[in-house]
Amino acid sequence: MLVIVVENAPPRLRGRLALWLLEVRAGVYVGKVSRRIRDMIWDNVEKGIDDGNAVMVWSTNTESGFDFVTLGANRRIPKEMEGIKLVSFLPEISSGYSPDFE
Amino acid sequence: MEPILPQLKPIPIKDRLSVLFVEKGQLDVLDGAFVLVDKTGVRTHIPVGGVACLMLEPGTRVSHAAATLASRVGCLLVWVGEAGVRLYSAGQPGGARADRLLYQAKLALDDTARLKVVRKMYEMRFKEKPPERRSVEQLRGIEGARVRKMYDLLARQYKVPWKKRNYDHTEWGSGDVPNRCLSSATACLYGICEAAILAAGYAPAVGFIHTGKPQSFVYDIADIFKFETVVPVAFKIAAKKPHNPERQVRLACRDAFRQTRLLNRIIPTIEQVLTAGEMQVPKAHEEAVDIAIPNKEEIGDAGHRG
Repeated sequence: MLVIVVENAPPRLRGRLALWLLEVRAGVYVGKVSRRIRDMIWDNVEKGIDDGNAVMVWSTNTESGFDFVTLGANRRIPKEMEGIKLVSFLPEISSGYSPDFE
Repeated sequence: MEPILPQLKPIPIKDRLSVLFVEKGQLDVLDGAFVLVDKTGVRTHIPVGGVACLMLEPGTRVSHAAATLASRVGCLLVWVGEAGVRLYSAGQPGGARADRLLYQAKLALDDTARLKVVRKMYEMRFKEKPPERRSVEQLRGIEGARVRKMYDLLARQYKVPWKKRNYDHTEWGSGDVPNRCLSSATACLYGICEAAILAAGYAPAVGFIHTGKPQSFVYDIADIFKFETVVPVAFKIAAKKPHNPERQVRLACRDAFRQTRLLNRIIPTIEQVLTAGEMQVPKAHEEAVDIAIPNKEEIGDAGHRG
């Protein structure tokens, strides 16, 4: 299983992704592809993302059962903790430190 | 200007969905995506890059851009008639490998090699070696009798009234329900087989058992899988006497293709059958000019142009 979520991506990239994956919600693409094809698709995302950002998640035999990679600026940052990949959520820069439970 | 996105390349047939049917609407390209736009303006994205062949039913129009895109990602466009009886087919630039074409032609032209290939086809189909010292003609006779028996047997198993395989290609409604189900199911199988043959770099027209049709080799290959996939499916649906048999047949065919892992097996099977001819892939002649621009690494199958 493969899921790609793009934000603020140019239309040409979104169209390109729709050639292999199903766009179930705006910017959310789902499919089931082999590793080689996944790399090829991610290469497309890397080249076409411009100022947007993207994350790709796929099922694999890690402890959590999946793995992911990200691209571009986003308040959610992947963080490795003792072999498990988690995500830290950055506070908004403008308002200084304020815990955000969004 | 350097293109921003990487060049589109076909992905291997085995990594794809088998078939998608499309009806009523205009196939076009919007923002680089392959879309079906219906008359109310509703857009449906079609992931052509991940589909082996797209069956276009009556009521579809295809724009130039859509045909170009389909060929670029190696998706075969098959125009099918009412209820899935093939009218015409094109769309994927196949036969891109001269070495494979020459190899196939060499096997087909040499009587001993052809007999070996035909014997292999029957062996794979009936799961046992055909009797020794028979000509292609005699093998065809044996095959005909076995096929009739298999139809009878399966019809009895699924409790379907069965007289014989019978279809009038000029008039669709003329066949009985089991025959119509069979025609619909085999059309699906032919589409996939043709896509696979083209993707592997061979010619659909150069057959070993069948001859004289643009899809002779397609029929040869499809026959190997016919009785394990589409025939039981067609009879099972026919026995239920459904309201819309063609649709039911297609859904069931997709399941059958998935369960038998058909798309993974089909190209290896083609290779296996041809290898049985025991001939070497022809070498390029000595005076041949080498390629000026080196081939790029592809992820698609051998016959994809990438």
